[in-house]
Amino acid sequence: MGKKSFILFFCLFAVLSGCATRPTNPEELKAYEEVNDPLEPMNRGIHAFNQVADKIVLKPIAKGYRAVVPSFYRGWVSNFFDNLSQPVHFLNALLQGQLKDAGSSLGRFVTNTTFGLFGLFDVATEAGIPNPSNDFGQTLAKWGWDGDGGPFLMLPILGPSNVRDGIGTGVDAVAHPMGWALWNEQKLHYGLVGLDGVATRERALDLLDDLEKTSTDYYATLRTMSRQNRRKKINQVLNNKEDEKPDYEADFSDIEWED
Amino acid sequence: MKKMILFLVAVFMSFAVRAEDPAINFVDKLADKILTEVVTSNKEKDEKETLFRDAFTEAVDLKGVGQFVLGTVWKKTSEEDRTAFLNAFTDLTVKTWADRFNLYTGQQIIFQGTRNAERGQIYVDSVIQDKQPVEVIWRLRPSKDSYKIVDIVVEGVSMASTYRNDYRAFLQQNANSVSALTEELARKSREFKSENAK
Repeated sequence: MGKKSFILFFCLFAVLSGCATRPTNPEELKAYEEVNDPLEPMNRGIHAFNQVADKIVLKPIAKGYRAVVPSFYRGWVSNFFDNLSQPVHFLNALLQGQLKDAGSSLGRFVTNTTFGLFGLFDVATEAGIPNPSNDFGQTLAKWGWDGDGGPFLMLPILGPSNVRDGIGTGVDAVAHPMGWALWNEQKLHYGLVGLDGVATRERALDLLDDLEKTSTDYYATLRTMSRQNRRKKINQVLNNKEDEKPDYEADFSDIEWED
Repeated sequence: MKKMILFLVAVFMSFAVRAEDPAINFVDKLADKILTEVVTSNKEKDEKETLFRDAFTEAVDLKGVGQFVLGTVWKKTSEEDRTAFLNAFTDLTVKTWADRFNLYTGQQIIFQGTRNAERGQIYVDSVIQDKQPVEVIWRLRPSKDSYKIVDIVVEGVSMASTYRNDYRAFLQQNANSVSALTEELARKSREFKSENAK
C-alpha cells in the first residue's frame, strides 16, 4: 500500500467509524469532556491495529534485540539517537524562549558529540547537564495552543497523542538532522529510523507489558496517562518558575475521608 | 551533670525533629521500610508480598482511593460490593508493585519539600535519581496523628486518576457493574500468579 492510499484508507476509516455519541447525563458529559476523545471509535480501531502489529512484528523484534544485544551496547544505541535529536530540542527551546533548556541541549550535543564519541557515551549526564527534550508540541502550546491540544488521537504505530502533539511529532521528524544529512542515502536513513524505533520499543517493554497486564481497559489507560504526562510537559514550558509546580487533575473534593 | 547532658540531648532532639518535616518523614520512613524489608531483602517471595501488603494497606487510604476511582458509581454500590471491590483492587495493586520491585537497581529518592493542598492535604515533592530523574509527588491527607497516602503522581501521571479512567471505561462497557469489575480485577490477579509460577 502506497503512502497515498494509506492516507485515503485512514480518512475512510475515520468517516466510517464515526464519532462517539455525546452523552446527555451531566456526570457522563463531564467525563466525556475530560477525556476529550470524540474520535474514540476510530482511535480504538487504530489501537486494535497497533496491538496486532506490535504483537506480531514490533514486540518480537524488540525482545530479540534485548536478548541479542547486551545492555551496554543498547546504551550506545539509545545515547546515539538521543544525541542526534538534541539539535531539534535546541531549536524548540529557542522557539519557546526557554534559554536555559536551549543551553542544556546545546551543551549536551557539543559534549556528547566530542567527548562522547559521536554520542555513543552520555558524558553530559555524568557532568550533570539535564536533558529537557523540548518538542514542537510544546512550542505550539507556548505559541497559544495550550490546554489539551485538541482531541485525543491514537496514531498508527506511534501510539497515544493529540492533534497538536501529533503535528508536533511530524514537524520534529521533518526537522531531524538525520533526514537532512542522509538526503541521498535514503536506505541508510530508513534503516537508522527503524533501529531507533526498535530501541525505543525495547525501552518501553517493561512499562507497556505492566500496563497491559494490570489495566482493565488498556486503551483508556494509555489515553489518560499520555494526557496527564503531556500536561506536565506543556506546563513546564508555560510557567517557567520552578517553585510553581502545577496541580494535576485528581479532584478529591467530594471524597468522604474516614479516620 | 548527667541530668544536664540529658536535658541538652532532649533539647537537641526536639530541634532535629522540628527541622525534619513530618510529612517528608512519613514518606521517607515508608520508602525506607519497603526498600530494606521488601525490595532489597533476601526473604522468600511470599513473605515479601505479605510484608508489602501490610505496609501498603497501613499507609494508603484505600477506602478514600476506592471512592475516587469508582467515581459516581461508588455511591450506588452496596457496602458488600464496595468491600469486595477494595479487596480485589488491593490484591492486584500489591501484586503489580511487588512485580515492579524487580526493576529496582539502587536508585535513590531525594525529597525536595512540601506544598499545602486543599482540605489540609499535603504534596511531598521528590525525585528518584536515575539516568533521567523521575519526579514523584506523594499526596497525603492528615489522619489521626499521622498521614495516609491518597495518591502518587509519577511524571505528572496520577495513579488515582489513571485507575479512575481505566475503571470508568470498563464500567461503561459493562453496565456500571462493580461486581463485573471486581471479577475482572480478581482474574488479573490470578493471571499474575500463574505467570509468575512459570
